[in-house]
Amino acid sequence: MRLRMMKGLILAIASMAPLGAMAGTYDLVIDEQIVNITGKDKKAMTINGQLPGPTLRFKEGEDVTINVTNRLDVDSSIHWHGLLLPYQMDGVPGISFDGIKPGETFSYQFPIKQSGTYWYHSHSGFQEQEGVFGSIVIEAEKREPFKVDREYVVMLSDWSDETGDQIFANLKAQSDYYNYSQQTVGDFFDDVKANGWSAALKDRLSWGSMRMMPTDIADVSGYTFLMNGKAPETNWTALFEKGERIRLRFINGSAMSYFDVRIPGLEMTVVQSDGNNVQPVTVDEFRIAVAETYDVIVRPREDKAFTIFAESVSRTGYARGTLAPREGMAAEVPELRDSLLLTMSDMSMASMGGMDHSSMAGMEGMDHSKMAGMADMKGMDHSKMAGMADMKGMDHSKMAGMADMKGMDHSKMAGMADMKGMDHSKMAGMAGMEAMDHSKMMMGSSSANSDYAPGSGLTPEAANGGKFLVYADLKAQTPFADYREPDREIELRLTGNMERYFWSINGIKYSDAEPVRLKMGERVRIKFVNDTMMMHPMHLHGMWMQLDKGNGRFSPLKHTVNVAPNTTLTVDVPVDALGEWAFHCHLMYHMAAGMFRKVIVEEAVVPAAAQ
Amino acid sequence: MFSIKPLVAAFCLSALAPLAIAGGTHGGHSDEAAPNIGKPGVAAQATRTVTMALYDNYYEVDTLEVKAGETVRFQLKNEGVLLHEFNIGTAAMHKNHQSEMLKMMEHGMMTPTGMVEMDHSGMEGMEGMKHDDPNSILLAPGESKEITWTFSGDAELEFACNMPGHYQAGMVGEVSSH
Repeated sequence: MRLRMMKGLILAIASMAPLGAMAGTYDLVIDEQIVNITGKDKKAMTINGQLPGPTLRFKEGEDVTINVTNRLDVDSSIHWHGLLLPYQMDGVPGISFDGIKPGETFSYQFPIKQSGTYWYHSHSGFQEQEGVFGSIVIEAEKREPFKVDREYVVMLSDWSDETGDQIFANLKAQSDYYNYSQQTVGDFFDDVKANGWSAALKDRLSWGSMRMMPTDIADVSGYTFLMNGKAPETNWTALFEKGERIRLRFINGSAMSYFDVRIPGLEMTVVQSDGNNVQPVTVDEFRIAVAETYDVIVRPREDKAFTIFAESVSRTGYARGTLAPREGMAAEVPELRDSLLLTMSDMSMASMGGMDHSSMAGMEGMDHSKMAGMADMKGMDHSKMAGMADMKGMDHSKMAGMADMKGMDHSKMAGMADMKGMDHSKMAGMAGMEAMDHSKMMMGSSSANSDYAPGSGLTPEAANGGKFLVYADLKAQTPFADYREPDREIELRLTGNMERYFWSINGIKYSDAEPVRLKMGERVRIKFVNDTMMMHPMHLHGMWMQLDKGNGRFSPLKHTVNVAPNTTLTVDVPVDALGEWAFHCHLMYHMAAGMFRKVIVEEAVVPAAAQ
Repeated sequence: MFSIKPLVAAFCLSALAPLAIAGGTHGGHSDEAAPNIGKPGVAAQATRTVTMALYDNYYEVDTLEVKAGETVRFQLKNEGVLLHEFNIGTAAMHKNHQSEMLKMMEHGMMTPTGMVEMDHSGMEGMEGMKHDDPNSILLAPGESKEITWTFSGDAELEFACNMPGHYQAGMVGEVSSH
């Protein structure tokens, strides 16, 4: 009897042993200190005295304990971005836990169930912007589907000498506070010269009614862009020997900034995005949204330096580093490209209900050719338009998505005598208009850049004229076993008003919204409809989103997806994690303004018959 | 629409990739001398058999040692879920071949998991395609195939998969000859 008990005890101890062998403890201390990144001293928030914080290196299968101590005088938190874990360990104050009070330590404990490149950051206030972020590298249990000789984390971030609270207050008070390239009266007369008075005026009127400006690519500028915490002049350097394959783990840890990344002279083979392996795709340049990650392999075959160039999409600056055979080397740093300008294509018509064109005159020559997504035009009143005598020049040829036009009232338009020139032949997505000739409708979306609205001013192009990565290029390395049609669809309209700096989902900000409720085991299609003129990097905590770009079971798994202005993007979520999760735009000030939802995953109710 | 069928024959892209195999013709690259990479061998005369698994996206081994004049019979099995190639050639030949494979992918003649059965005789720039390169073999997921090769010992060779991105990701091995 006694022997048997002993045996049981030994067995119990033995069964715990492998767990101990694969357990790791990590200590992070969040504190404040003076740093000088731009030549100006500023109080920053640091982790273990570093900015960004230290790279956490975990192993797949490891049980980690991470003790996070808060030495700030305000509450703090750490969220493990992209990690699959029990929701109480996800680090979002108010959803997963209460946050970490000043002077306290919180012990995060969870098993590592994945591999790849991730990151971590504070989910409290604007602390991430001020330095509370770092990278996570998880070593895979099995051999990875690629071969490299060395690897580096390339953490991109945007640094401001202002505090997050100051920036947010400025945006709330005056949303164009940071738009240094506003078009001036002088620009307006240049536009008149180039496009004619009415076109220029019409353009201005449109932008005015959207509360946007064509230069509104990013809300905040005045940033210094950092690579692994270093300003461009400091030149972060990664060493190599020629002929080696080098894995660069790009992470965009910015609060607000997207980057177009290239390494002049080298092609990059993308092998991972958001920590998940993708079939290798070789590109010259890629765009990284806030909070995304991309792992690329480069192979310099020459004994010389190459510039790693991450140009902000606002084109106000760049993060830069160097790949070099020896320290102290540098290659040419490219010039910033011209600013991107939003076009009418980036303008969703959805929020234009109630637009009053009544005082417009002289619309001949209006070009609607690149409009897309005119979802809800019911409220448009054209009744008092004058001078539309000759509309034959109106070109609607490339309109897309004119879903609901039934309420449009053209009945009182005057003088529409001659409409024979109107060409609707290339319109796309005109549901319910059977009688039309669809012969020239666009098909598919494969090779063209379908990530942006047709004619969008944000559509990226490679600086060397070569291959620019698009989402459709991302194909999962292994097919998803349970790939199937979704059980249901949830539409989330991304909404906002730039001038009032109000950002929301379905027109409702977080504080006023009901949570999104999902059932364990269901497969939910989320349809993002971007009704704003800005890009939004949408991040779901705790579960993967399968980016739907026509790759079926090879749809890649992402934790963050970029939704371009005036476009619709769908993702399928295999709901597999109980609890309460955050789901939000990862632009820090959009999140703060309310573009955020709580997602509650509940046990599926077992039908009574089965009990 | 197109149907995707498992490969039944070893086919390659000689017209697309003007290869310079010994004794072969020499496409559009007449400015450089053809490297002597060896020639196809007869399995029955092979002095050695090498079995090798192909995974996503790497080979079981990274290097292969051969003797000049040696005839090697390769028994290959694709253990992955993606289409892979086993191609013996120089780095330059692989590079050429990669751009052609990419073109095939972009034209929908090939997917990441297999060849697409379609008539491409009328496609511009694709006329006269033949799938008969002797130095290359494509393996569909799960497929086993053989190729026999007599090495010349005169060229710096690699065995590589030229499916888009696979070579760059490291699906390539060195052949060292003595």
